[in-house]
Amino acid sequence: MKQKFRTLNQLPLGTRIITYFCLGWALLVSLTPIVWLFLSSLKEDPLARPGFQLPESIHLEGYISTFRDLHVMRYFGNSMLISIVSVVISIVMISMSAYVVARMEFKGKRLVNVMLATTLFIPATALTYPVYNLVNQLGIYNTRAALILIYSCSGIAVSFFVIKNYYDHIPKEMEDAARIDGCGYFQTFWHVIFPMARPGIMTAGVLAFLNNWNEYYWASLVIIDRDKLTVPALLSTFTTAFRTNYNGLFSAMVIIILPPILLYCIFNKFFIEALSGGAVKG
Amino acid sequence: MKLKEEVKILLFFKEDEMKQIEKRSNRGISGPEWKRRGFIFVFLFPTLLAFCTFYLYPLLTVFFTSFAKWDYSNLTSPEFWGWTNLFNNYQYIFETYPYFWEALRNSVTWALLGIFVQIPISTLIALAFSRKMRGIKLIRNIYIIPCMISSAALGIIFLQLYSPTYGIINPIIHLFNPSFSENILLMKGPAFWAMTGAYIFFTGTTTLMILGNIMAVPEEVREAALLDGASGFVQDFYITIPMIKNTLKTVSILSATAGFLLYNEVYFLTKGAAGTYSISYVIRELAITSPRAQFGRANSVAFLQIIAGMLIIVFVNLIYELPEICSKLRRDRT
Repeated sequence: MKQKFRTLNQLPLGTRIITYFCLGWALLVSLTPIVWLFLSSLKEDPLARPGFQLPESIHLEGYISTFRDLHVMRYFGNSMLISIVSVVISIVMISMSAYVVARMEFKGKRLVNVMLATTLFIPATALTYPVYNLVNQLGIYNTRAALILIYSCSGIAVSFFVIKNYYDHIPKEMEDAARIDGCGYFQTFWHVIFPMARPGIMTAGVLAFLNNWNEYYWASLVIIDRDKLTVPALLSTFTTAFRTNYNGLFSAMVIIILPPILLYCIFNKFFIEALSGGAVKG
Repeated sequence: MKLKEEVKILLFFKEDEMKQIEKRSNRGISGPEWKRRGFIFVFLFPTLLAFCTFYLYPLLTVFFTSFAKWDYSNLTSPEFWGWTNLFNNYQYIFETYPYFWEALRNSVTWALLGIFVQIPISTLIALAFSRKMRGIKLIRNIYIIPCMISSAALGIIFLQLYSPTYGIINPIIHLFNPSFSENILLMKGPAFWAMTGAYIFFTGTTTLMILGNIMAVPEEVREAALLDGASGFVQDFYITIPMIKNTLKTVSILSATAGFLLYNEVYFLTKGAAGTYSISYVIRELAITSPRAQFGRANSVAFLQIIAGMLIIVFVNLIYELPEICSKLRRDRT
């Protein structure tokens, strides 16, 4: 009885039909591009057998040559390093300021709130030239540090509101108890509040990580040297690098998208719980 | 709700007393005032610094230099246009620059599609995922996969999918029109929709955020609705969706903004050909890619983009307040 409203067989026919349709659509949309890419990467000449035709025989030359020549791991290393460092910086920074704004009274609190809210509607691309200029002036153009700086500062608004929302749910008594036990401000934050707000902080962290990991605009703007590129920026060199070698292009694409998919398959529980704010079990 | 009010009433009488106790205890437990201030300052400082370097300073630069002559000929010293032709850059953008209106129309369309297509799709799929059925977790997990791949990679995959020689779109069109042999990315009109199709259906993260909220709706509410005879999508429409309105508003803002800022798809699929410019693409082209870079003019487009970003938020808020405004009007009339 308890979950009658969710068990599909007991729902009205119309609902069941729509649900099956939605699920079918979800599968179709998410699998088509990936399956097609994978199939094509196995064909000796994708031009000869277009679309979803199965390959005549399985060809792995593209994969072998990509592994040999492309040094994919280097680019993954770059992407990982840049994404993780900037997520850590921005999340630590934001969880600190969100705490102060959520829990303490001080002059200018509203101003801080408004400031961070405005960043929500300032598109990062609008700031292209000034930021590009700033990066040049700081002398970090064409370094990974430039991307780390940009990623840790952009998107702070979303993290701020997600995390602050979580702080608001934590009962005030927790802090009082900690204070009475002799904790200072910092200890209260670190030992009591921070652990309690972990679901919110995780959500913000995963969102920020995905954004940074997939970010192409800045990555292609501030880094030129090939060996410092992140994965998305590397992709823009593909269409010229593999001009006629389609088997190579498709194999390289599969290799590029495989690690995030594998990572996701291993940690999907974590991703799903984090993105849904802990309400959905993976 | 009721309990909360009762507690409030109870507390009301003691509010003054409570405040005094709180004050005393704060002072007693937390030590001197300078410590508190120091803590606030230290915790706020990094964020403020980030805000100033990444948002405030660039924002001011964008605003002021949008009224200045600043291009490849005077790289380091922007010159103010003067009060008489203050809007020189804007005039150029509106009247001479060939791609601005096209880009604005495209970006606004993408923003609207974000609100009116992406969000309904994500909500429907999230509702489907909220049912109990075997294998539903697997489908849900698969649906998130495209969001793990970067939009740059998806862009390249779709570039191949749309290829007239080995893609899968042209064979489908052949079913209806056997003589069709063109590249749809080079045809004005279809190119825009092809580009839209390359990103609009990948709503994994939004769907999950909505799903999270659907699952958080208390079971009692649903059970009550069930007793009233509402189940399935009828129940969702009258009960669940109004309860997750705030989340829907937030994700609408996110996807409208994302649509408005579309860049990667434009770059990877058409590079602006066949009427597919976007505002972000215009800014990048004016400021960086073009050999005759026009920083001042790029910044005036950027300023317009910021204004539009604000309008999007206002617009989304209006849409979600609309039912309430309507019912209020109706009540006033009767």
